[in-house]
Amino acid sequence: MDPDLILYLQTMEMETFPNGNSAAAPTTAAITAVSNSAAATATATATPSSKLTQLAESLKLEHQFLRVPFEHYKKTIRGNHRIVEKEISAVISGVSEAADGGELSTDDAVQHLNSLVSRLQGLKRKLEEGSHTEHLQAQRCRARVDHLESADADNLSEWNNTRLKRILVDYMLRMSYYDTAIKLAESCNIQDLVDIDVFKEAKKVIDALQNKEVAPALAWCADNKSRLKKSKSKFEFQLRLQDFIELVRAENNLRAITYARKYLAPWGATHMKELQRVMATLAFKSSTECVTYKVLFESKQWDYLVDQFKQEFCRLYGMTLEPLLNIYLQAGLSALKTPFCYEDDCTKEDPLSQESFRKLALPLPFSKQHHSKLVCYITKELMDTENPPLVLPNGYVYSTKALEEMAKKNNGKITCPRTGLVCNYSDVIKAYIS
Amino acid sequence: MELNTIKDAFDRVAKKQKLSTSKSQEVIDQVGHELDQALTNIQSIQDPTSPADQKSILMELKAKLNAIGPHSQLEGSQKELNINLSKYPKSLEKTFNPDISKAYRNVDFDPHIVNHIIASHFYRVGLFDVADTLINEAGEPEVISLKSHFMELHQILEAVSVRNLEPALYWVSTNRESLKHIGSNLELKLRRLQFVEILQNSTQADALNYARTYLAPFASLHMDEIQKLMGCLLWAGKLDRSPYSELLSPTHWETLAEELARQFCSFLGQSYESPLSVAVSAGLEGLPTLLKLANVMSAKKQEWQAMKQLPVPVDLGKEFQFHSIFVCPVSREQGSEENPPMLLPCGHVLCKQSIMKLSKSSTRTFKCPYCPLEASVAQCKQLYF
Repeated sequence: MDPDLILYLQTMEMETFPNGNSAAAPTTAAITAVSNSAAATATATATPSSKLTQLAESLKLEHQFLRVPFEHYKKTIRGNHRIVEKEISAVISGVSEAADGGELSTDDAVQHLNSLVSRLQGLKRKLEEGSHTEHLQAQRCRARVDHLESADADNLSEWNNTRLKRILVDYMLRMSYYDTAIKLAESCNIQDLVDIDVFKEAKKVIDALQNKEVAPALAWCADNKSRLKKSKSKFEFQLRLQDFIELVRAENNLRAITYARKYLAPWGATHMKELQRVMATLAFKSSTECVTYKVLFESKQWDYLVDQFKQEFCRLYGMTLEPLLNIYLQAGLSALKTPFCYEDDCTKEDPLSQESFRKLALPLPFSKQHHSKLVCYITKELMDTENPPLVLPNGYVYSTKALEEMAKKNNGKITCPRTGLVCNYSDVIKAYIS
Repeated sequence: MELNTIKDAFDRVAKKQKLSTSKSQEVIDQVGHELDQALTNIQSIQDPTSPADQKSILMELKAKLNAIGPHSQLEGSQKELNINLSKYPKSLEKTFNPDISKAYRNVDFDPHIVNHIIASHFYRVGLFDVADTLINEAGEPEVISLKSHFMELHQILEAVSVRNLEPALYWVSTNRESLKHIGSNLELKLRRLQFVEILQNSTQADALNYARTYLAPFASLHMDEIQKLMGCLLWAGKLDRSPYSELLSPTHWETLAEELARQFCSFLGQSYESPLSVAVSAGLEGLPTLLKLANVMSAKKQEWQAMKQLPVPVDLGKEFQFHSIFVCPVSREQGSEENPPMLLPCGHVLCKQSIMKLSKSSTRTFKCPYCPLEASVAQCKQLYF
């Protein structure tokens, strides 16, 4: 088990007796504190090897990176196979028809067979094209694995830059900023590492839904019928409901009823309530003021369908439902958030010194520390056993490095940058912080 | 990262896919062959009025196609492919974390804020046209001042990369007073590089002239430096073999570019590193711990969504350490204004509340929990980090 988690469980136990006798048992606390500080120094002097374990941990987050192109590949394989099956069946039944049917003149028979031959030739062409696409997609899957494998200590900062760009392209695609996504991918030459092709499919459906057309979305549902069924998706039902509502809006009531019989009734067993509610619009019409039904005619229903589609789409491809950027930003901001970030003298290097990041972090939890982490006010370097903290007579603390440097330049004199106090280097004392 | 199992699993998929495709081709060819055969047979019938022959040919064709059994052939190869197609995602799930949104809190980020942050990031890294496209596509207002500032920075840095210091010197001269105020000697460093360049590529006289005009004003503060540079004049043309050869090192250009960028950003009131990149990197480092925690806490999803502080520390590298955080080793409380860190006479540091408890509200002396030294509250001193 992870040491952090063990510690967490321990603190949970301790916290079940709030303000109990924690001061009466300083020894146990001190022991854990000591073992913690050992861990602290170990992390503070981060060796390349610990950087590498960290890298390995963060690579495990890249599931979507390999999964999405694979799902795309799989889809192409399935689609191509379906075409082959369909066309072969058509040819065979064409032969059967001719054999079992009535008399044919020779010309007719020849013509019939010729049409079947050209159909087969068409299939062959399609198969070739299809297998070319499959080949390219397989290459993309491989390129992704190779890219993950290429990350190591030497190219880490460059690799991480690319990673940020990938995350940003993902954000653009999910927000439907396609031009920006394409431009960013091109400018850094990472087309193989992002899923622009996959989202092109989504774009068609989303554009249509924004134009209040359901047909492409329905076609997409039909394409992915079995998988949507497996995840118990009701997206198709929601599309049908909207289609029905549009018929009611147009006062095409008879057609609406026929439509409902054909497309809504099959969902009755599982979604009776929604079905009933929508059917009632026949009585209320689009001009109704009755709130329950009025909302069904509002155009934001279409926006809702777009959101719904995006979710189904992401789920189908094994993507996270939220943009990767939001997930990483949220984790990062929680880990960085301390009460000090919101003070006026927060250093500019902290993202949380900026208003925009502060706003994003507002609903997020603060980070927690189990051991002290002290940063020198002057050098901004960590104060640890290598560079221990020194206390001035006024209680202000700076790192040994900073004060030594200052003393060397000023004949052993120290000036406190925050209070202006001047003292001798020999007046400072070392503080032991565990 | 060890990805051989993943690679192998994928190779198996790709192999089966190729097999399946060639099987399809084979089946198509077989069917096509029979059709061609039947066509030739029909066309070679002597008596066109005899439909019986035709019929038998077609019947024969049908029987032959049935015998080939194209469907069962296709199914066989497809079945093997399907097995591998469903195996691969499973091995991905085993090696990777299949759901990194498990620790995600259901709060919506305002897309305008996020877009603004991203656009600023693009300016900062010099992707100006990508930023423009984003602003256009997302319908966000342009941050013109930021854009022009970063454009200036990128022009300066681009010029520096081809050893042209003019734009940098121009910027330094327009901000001379403020730079002086913060004790920056950026200008001297720029002049020094330029002096060495002149000495390398031009005459001794030119270099001397340059020094008189541009280096002399620094004499009062940086005499050492200038003496060294004057020494270089003696080695004009063979500086690489002089005691000053170190001045030729290209690292001077790199560190200067970095220092320029740092000071430029700090003048803008901006950080040197892109804040977006810092926050995302922190997320990449911190998320694995958060995901483990979310797993442990999966039964208490409610609590996870509502907590005001993370229950475990998320250890980030020291590059993410922006603030001093004191944690009392006894009470484990984070130091604050009400409960500040206190220095004991022995040099150990505890928080005020712990000291009050140990001293029974300063009614008696107490032993430091780390060393046997006795202390009284009056001897303890508040610390400011």
